[in-house]
Amino acid sequence: MDNLGELLHGFAIAVTVPHLALMVVGVLLGILVGVLPGLGAPNGVSLLLPLTFGMQPVSAIILLSSMYWGALFGGSVTSILFNIPGEPSSVATTFDGYPMARDGRPTTALATAFGSAAFGALIGVILITFLASWVAQVALAFGPAEYFAVYFLAFASFVGMGGAAPIKTVVALAIGFAIAAIGIDTVSGSVRLTMGVDELVKGVNFVVAVMGLFGIGELLVAVEEEFHARAVSSKIDWREVFRAVGRLPRHSVALLRSAAIGCWMGITPGGPTAASFMSYGIARRFSRRGRYFGTGEVEGIISPETADHAAGTSALLPMLSLGIPGSATAAVMMGGLMIWGLNPGPMLFVDQKDFVWGLIASMYVGNIVAVVLVLLTVPVFAALMRIPFVIIAPLIVIICVVGAYSVSNSYLDVVMMLGFGVVGYLFKKLFYPLAPLVLAIVIGDKAEDAFRQSMLMSKGSLGIFFANKLVTCLIVGGIALLLLPLVLQLARLFRKPAPPTNETIAQEKVII
Amino acid sequence: MISRRALEFATAVLTGSFGIAVVVQSLDNGIGWSSAGVDSGTFPFLTGIIIVLGSLYNLVRGVVPVASLANVPVAITPIELRRIAGLFVPAAIFVAAIPLIGMYLASAGYIFAVLAIPRHQSVPRALAMALATAIGLYVVFERMFQVSLPHGALATALGF
Repeated sequence: MDNLGELLHGFAIAVTVPHLALMVVGVLLGILVGVLPGLGAPNGVSLLLPLTFGMQPVSAIILLSSMYWGALFGGSVTSILFNIPGEPSSVATTFDGYPMARDGRPTTALATAFGSAAFGALIGVILITFLASWVAQVALAFGPAEYFAVYFLAFASFVGMGGAAPIKTVVALAIGFAIAAIGIDTVSGSVRLTMGVDELVKGVNFVVAVMGLFGIGELLVAVEEEFHARAVSSKIDWREVFRAVGRLPRHSVALLRSAAIGCWMGITPGGPTAASFMSYGIARRFSRRGRYFGTGEVEGIISPETADHAAGTSALLPMLSLGIPGSATAAVMMGGLMIWGLNPGPMLFVDQKDFVWGLIASMYVGNIVAVVLVLLTVPVFAALMRIPFVIIAPLIVIICVVGAYSVSNSYLDVVMMLGFGVVGYLFKKLFYPLAPLVLAIVIGDKAEDAFRQSMLMSKGSLGIFFANKLVTCLIVGGIALLLLPLVLQLARLFRKPAPPTNETIAQEKVII
Repeated sequence: MISRRALEFATAVLTGSFGIAVVVQSLDNGIGWSSAGVDSGTFPFLTGIIIVLGSLYNLVRGVVPVASLANVPVAITPIELRRIAGLFVPAAIFVAAIPLIGMYLASAGYIFAVLAIPRHQSVPRALAMALATAIGLYVVFERMFQVSLPHGALATALGF
């Protein structure tokens, strides 16, 4: 029951006027980036990052995490009202959310989505409350070899379960590692991979990469198809909100199943996007009304939304307790933690109790704030969608340019950001996943250090990775995940290929 | 028109050449084992090798047609290409202009150009939006957050 005491202490930190105000600001900004195409949670959080340097770490993380919740909710608004997913993770919500809204039930669709999203987030936070400190306690005993094994497992799970072509994932990961290695080597102090450009000694900041990959890249993809926002009515009928939320318990099986899928995909770095698709697919297979999916089924909204938010929330668990982010946005937040001078990982639970429990408590409050605010502001943000894309696009370009520049006042960063934009476009177009690339940039150095420290301990023998049960299990698990796609492919050779469904095509399009 | 195959080819060549550059550069730092432990070039060297091998695989997979649902023959149609260029080319010019005329003038000019030249907006409205962008940037960054954006060679020459 220690955890509950700590949690109460956390609430005392989170529920103060300045922190509540930060939550409101964060959620509103989050909804804004969630609604705008081309700006998403990873960019939004990286944009805010330079502005948090002067803040207390706990205030800063409350602002950034609230923005994350806001972005998750904002993405659903455009999915349902406009059939345009504001976030990749809310694509699955369009399948049933938009048809329901088009049939004249936009309030029902929105309220169902927000209600189940809040439920998913709640399960995620409860999981963090009870599990995170325990995981951290186990991880306190970790040596470099165990750490490297955990990193290895995380990266392997991207390859095995990420959903994109495995070799493309491997290439994306390796490029991320190489980019992380650019600059001064933390162990030996020697300069690496600067390609003759002196300014690269400072390394490539992940914010620059995120701005280009997710910002400019997404913009280039979005501009391809000239989209028209054909909105359905965005008026909110408050009585229907309560009725729709009141009907949710009838779908408790779908809710619980989706939350479980979401939490699993969030902790293992599958991410919210994969979680929402997986949950939708499973719901369609197991629901009694499965064949009506795609025409505005309630469970077709509940399943992806619950999983999306459960995954988004629980992605913070491995970030806090192990220092391994479970999603691209969590990776950006972890970069922030390191900039604020905190060391993400189990020591946080010992040294920075206020920070950790303040954050966890703020997740409970922040999600409530997010639900209320998103319902109140739906008409405002829906109106925003009517601004033509030709006006919004150059503004987003300027935001990305300024964001990349302000990281370290360097013009080279702006040029690199534009380059990352082209790479991001090519990768999105050809279904290379972007999340592992960002993740590798953020934690590549730490993974390398762990590897080299273990090698020093064992005097160069790889046997250290099989020295005890825990390490062996992690490494073997990682190898198994790496080989999983190969095994599946072999298995498929012996079976007749199944006809592709619409949803798997859509999923291929948005895996990031 | 750009075919999916050409795009896969170009991307694999791009990632592959990055991998080769990483391999070559990491050789300078030394790979293998020395008295100080694993040499600093080892890890990048290995990732470089993985990038090169992976790119080769993607190259072959991308060029040799496979009956996969993702293998739509046309990746970018001419209209799409024009739209992408319409966004990217002005953005690149904007970035190129920053060292010369500074962030404020460049962004105002950028907004004005993309709105007024294709006639999305009337000239006065485009002008108003351009001014609002520059002033907005100044107020938010220079004033509120004390982040100095580049003023450019022009401003230095004029003595700002």
